[in-house]
Amino acid sequence: MPHDHHHGEHEAIITEDEAGNIEAQIIVDALQDVLIAKGLLTALEVTGAIAKLESPGIHLGAKVIAKAWTDPAYHARLLADGRAAIQELDISVTEASIIVVENTPQVHNLVTCTLCSCYPRSILGQPPSWYISKAYRARSVREPRKVLAEFGLDLPEDTQLIVHDSNADMRYLVLPEAPADLQTRSIADLEALISRDHLIGVTRAVT
Amino acid sequence: MQDDKGPRGYHDVGGDAAGTIPIVDLPWLHWEKQVEAIRGLLGDGTRRIVSLDEVRRGFESFGVEKYNSLSFYRRRLEAMTDILIEKGVVSHAELDQAIAQGKAKWAEFDPKA
Amino acid sequence: MKRFSDGDCVKVLALGKEGHVRIPHYVRNQIGHIAGYCGTYLNPEDLAVGNTSGQAVDLYRVAFEQRQLWPNQPIPKHDMLVIEIYDHWLAPAQETSDAP
Repeated sequence: MPHDHHHGEHEAIITEDEAGNIEAQIIVDALQDVLIAKGLLTALEVTGAIAKLESPGIHLGAKVIAKAWTDPAYHARLLADGRAAIQELDISVTEASIIVVENTPQVHNLVTCTLCSCYPRSILGQPPSWYISKAYRARSVREPRKVLAEFGLDLPEDTQLIVHDSNADMRYLVLPEAPADLQTRSIADLEALISRDHLIGVTRAVT
Repeated sequence: MQDDKGPRGYHDVGGDAAGTIPIVDLPWLHWEKQVEAIRGLLGDGTRRIVSLDEVRRGFESFGVEKYNSLSFYRRRLEAMTDILIEKGVVSHAELDQAIAQGKAKWAEFDPKA
Repeated sequence: MKRFSDGDCVKVLALGKEGHVRIPHYVRNQIGHIAGYCGTYLNPEDLAVGNTSGQAVDLYRVAFEQRQLWPNQPIPKHDMLVIEIYDHWLAPAQETSDAP
């Protein structure tokens, strides 16, 4: 049975309780067994596919961003063809196309998928639960500044806000502005500053 | 004068009023990964048995109550099984039988059963 | 030969299609500008019913002023919404004059 993960006036995220999780595990195992019996896949393929799903993560996004900050030619290639530039770093990308949208002092970018949960999964892994929530999907296109404020970002009115609804074949990454002390930092330091919230656009400053 | 924007799916929530964002990060469970893994394999270049587009159609058409009451990955699992049954890749009976066998195995190991 | 170029004024049609479409309700009948060309892709409306041999379709990024999408809200005039729209959902449009 599902139950609500609910706090005050939060729009609930539906999660499974223990019985629901067990039931889902039983069902997916049953489905897998039937598919294996039909020769449509093997158990080894499934464990391999799970391992592949687990390997991407924010560290890969951080690698891309830190390189863009420290290598102007790479920065340009990243904006011109995100997928190709990301693959240069030996990061495999399964999405058809990656568009990298750049924050500037005048512009802030926010990414959403109102219809479901489209997200650059092959680079960053799974999206956070809140990104998939009805509240985010519904409000991120209608009142994005209020949404940002809930994440602690009060965007000045004279900063342009561009919201990207990734409804079709493109997937998006936000390239945040580099920190002021960029020149004094190592690549590893820079990578450590970049969070998933930066890459989606619910936070802005990198410090 | 009223604009008719055409049919609107219950999943098409952009612009709706909604409460505060539940800023939580829930763990990604093994069965959830397994759902995605299987879907990916079934849709890959060597198989092309069920696509992500078909899975989306699945959860967009299994009804608003089901959509609103299931967790995200459970929706994907339900939609995927619906489409596999629709396309005749697996049958209800085969799946039900496998599920019944699975439940029996769990019951053997479950001290509360 | 693609129909639209960057900067072209376009309207998103309300095609009245049942079933799986990827054009959200909130942009239908809205007027925006072409903000980029994505290439050609198989139509998700075909793919959703297992038809993989349909014609590939031009996909564009279309930019809208947020204040036009949500009238009577205090939205800064430079705030934009950009979304991907398939060619068959677009028609050329006239520029609309700015609301006061």
